[in-house]
Amino acid sequence: MLAVFLLYSSIAGGGTPSLRPSSLAGHTGKVSLTGYVLKPVTGDAHGAGLHFRLRDVKGTATVPVVYTGSVPDLFRPGRDIVVEGRFQNGVFVAVPGTMVTKCPSKYTPKKT
Amino acid sequence: MPELGRAALVVCFGLALYAVGAGFWGAHTRRRRLALSAQNALVAAFLSAAVAAGVLLVALITSDFSFTYVSAFTSRELPLTYKITALWGGQEGSLLLWLLVLTGYGAAAVLLDRKAGRELIAWVVPVLGVVAAFFSMLVVFVASPFATHAAPADGLGLNTSLQSPYMQAHPPLLYLGYVGLTVPFAFAMGALLSGRTDERWIVATRRWTLAAWMFLGIGQLLGAKWAYEEVGWGGYYAWDPVENAALMPWLAATAFLHSVMVQEKKGMLKVWNMLLVILAFSLSLFGTFLTRSGVLSSIHSFTEGSIGPWFLGFICFVVAGSLALLFRRLPLLRSKTKLESLVSREATFLYNNLLLVALCLTILWGVTFPILSEAVRGESVTVGRPYYDFFLRSFGLPLLLLMGIGPLVAWRRASLRSLGRTFLWPFAFGLVAGGGLVAAGAGSSLPGLIAYTFAAFVTATIVLEFARGTAARRALAGEPVPRAFASLVARNRRRYGGYVVHAAIVLLAIGVAGSSAYDTSHTARLAKGQSLKVRDYTLVYRDLRRTRAQNAVETRATIDVYRGGDRIAVMHPGKNNYPVEQQISNEVAIRSDWLTGEDLFLITEQVNPNGTIDFKAIINPLVNLIWLAGVVFLLGSVVTLWPDAREERRLAVRYGRLAPET
Amino acid sequence: MLTTAALVLGGLLAVAAVWFVARPFLRSPASEEPLVEPGRAERERLALEEERDRALAALKELEFDHRTGKVSDDDYRSLVGELRRAAADALRALDRGRGQIDVRSREG
Repeated sequence: MLAVFLLYSSIAGGGTPSLRPSSLAGHTGKVSLTGYVLKPVTGDAHGAGLHFRLRDVKGTATVPVVYTGSVPDLFRPGRDIVVEGRFQNGVFVAVPGTMVTKCPSKYTPKKT
Repeated sequence: MPELGRAALVVCFGLALYAVGAGFWGAHTRRRRLALSAQNALVAAFLSAAVAAGVLLVALITSDFSFTYVSAFTSRELPLTYKITALWGGQEGSLLLWLLVLTGYGAAAVLLDRKAGRELIAWVVPVLGVVAAFFSMLVVFVASPFATHAAPADGLGLNTSLQSPYMQAHPPLLYLGYVGLTVPFAFAMGALLSGRTDERWIVATRRWTLAAWMFLGIGQLLGAKWAYEEVGWGGYYAWDPVENAALMPWLAATAFLHSVMVQEKKGMLKVWNMLLVILAFSLSLFGTFLTRSGVLSSIHSFTEGSIGPWFLGFICFVVAGSLALLFRRLPLLRSKTKLESLVSREATFLYNNLLLVALCLTILWGVTFPILSEAVRGESVTVGRPYYDFFLRSFGLPLLLLMGIGPLVAWRRASLRSLGRTFLWPFAFGLVAGGGLVAAGAGSSLPGLIAYTFAAFVTATIVLEFARGTAARRALAGEPVPRAFASLVARNRRRYGGYVVHAAIVLLAIGVAGSSAYDTSHTARLAKGQSLKVRDYTLVYRDLRRTRAQNAVETRATIDVYRGGDRIAVMHPGKNNYPVEQQISNEVAIRSDWLTGEDLFLITEQVNPNGTIDFKAIINPLVNLIWLAGVVFLLGSVVTLWPDAREERRLAVRYGRLAPET
Repeated sequence: MLTTAALVLGGLLAVAAVWFVARPFLRSPASEEPLVEPGRAERERLALEEERDRALAALKELEFDHRTGKVSDDDYRSLVGELRRAAADALRALDRGRGQIDVRSREG
């Protein structure tokens, strides 16, 4: 009985789809995007928005991203990050403050 | 020197294998000398592991970069204390530490726990040997800390986020917890294998389980403090899978600590206890597997790495083997007693267990669902904070309430009338507190309000327990209050130590509720002289300074903090730039108010070229109660662990070491 | 040079390990008594002793709970009788069991 409740609630309430730039097309709701940060990074995360492109970690597809909010210390071109948001008009608009970097060492990942 | 390390590890591996083979054979054919020999092998394995650890430690201290490990995790200007603790900063070294702690615990458990009986120990030794063999196999063949290469001029340095006293203490404490759970598991398997499923195995392992549980709890709190101060996003727990990896075995161990009390007093729940100890141990293995194998970043990096599949295989082996053994010995575990009433202390322990295990399993599901989903559908999902928060509230709040109800309910059955009388005062106190809290504005968050009210209720029950106990003691022995209190606790260490631990959990609950349900945050871009207002604090940005430290460039802003017109503090949030490691770290400034327990948390998000700074200010009410809870938790655990001479004697008589007194 | 030293030390370690493990066999061979495996009688005795200890502890705890006011007078009256009976049963069973063991050991 408990198990059924758990399964139901986890599937119903739980995850946001976790995607790569190459698989973004067609998803209109809130998703979680994982990718490799490419140069150049322009703009102001605490102003009009930080602009950069994300590429598939193992691939070539890229997507432009605009992000506002706290930027983790480890963020820079050449790192893998995860950010939540929506894909609108060819640009991934991030939900403020949802960027997380993957830590290079195998211990605790950094977070905003 | 690396050859000595490698040799020591090979010897350790050989000894572990011998302990397995000779141990099983000696126990099975009841050859005492063989069993003793296997036991010695386990102790010798510890000494070999110690030698290997010593070799690595010396290499780290002398910065011998011919060791691949040393060059990967230290550098010349790294302070000495970090060079030493880099022993567990990387995969291979931390596996070696695990092996050392494991063999250490194993040696200590079989040497010190003579009350457990030779027959039981004879079977425990090979089980410990199996686990030791696995880990020594890993460090010998798969992930050796003694790999060498042409020594570079300087090492790569330690990840800056690990350069903190918390991160130095966190892994060894956590390992003392994780690995410590091997001992009760080994004794449980020993009990099943030997057919001696009496209470002996529980009595022998009670202290080990409690100690491991204590270390695991403290280790997690240190990790949370590290996240709070060093990672600095304003929170202390992100429901990250590596954090959950430690929480899950802790929850299972908590359930186990409670349900063994039922087995001791009533002889019930024998099968359940076996299952719990298997669960706790498997989760501890699973936890370290999650943290190491890379399976969390993606399923593909897991299969590419070498360590993951080994761990997974071992976990499957352990789970399958122990369950099979349990199934075979099921007839030995039948209990005659049944649950008499749903309103009894046994029943509340059962509810407590169900809630704890349910919470544990929902966390497990949250952690493994993304991995499974990616493996099955090719598409991964992220399970976020809302999922975990929901279940923490759904299961945690009733648990909090039960903590107050349980101790007040009698064993076997309690009539509703007597319940009404015992609960009258705490219930009234809870109501009054709840009303007061609503008046003070706590109604803004319903879960927060409920948490606070339950916490008030539980506090009242704990205080009442101590008060009633002391009063009874005074009536009995005519002692003055302080002495009555002391002798009360001394005579009932487990009960009252347990109450202290409950008090710690109450503090934890209040701190967590306060800082997560009632926090505020504001961000602003300030130029010099401008101010930011948050709650009753006014923050004025005065100055920006850059200084050079040993291995970093430190940028610090000077912020004056005013409250009610008075300047109460000057804070210096900023950033550190580490040129060698090419990393920037956020150095947050925290001001703790000792009266209210709240924290003013300042983050410099971004230093802009025109001299303005984007600041984020967060108020975390009552967050310092969490750290206070850690201290109380430690105190309570120590009281509960403290040996009781009279109980020791009684058990020794029962298990035949001493002649019974007529 | 360092390598030879390391290998020698490693070898010494291995020898020490083997000696440590073989010690039980090098001592008096007379200590080759088999590991005592508790027979059924012994196991029953243990179970009865646990039963007795449990009953006595439950009684003690009931007294304590009653004194501290957790258990009402009515509840106490209804429970104490059962617990006293259970304790008495356990003690009697233990005496009977002990008697049986003595008889068996006397018969050899």
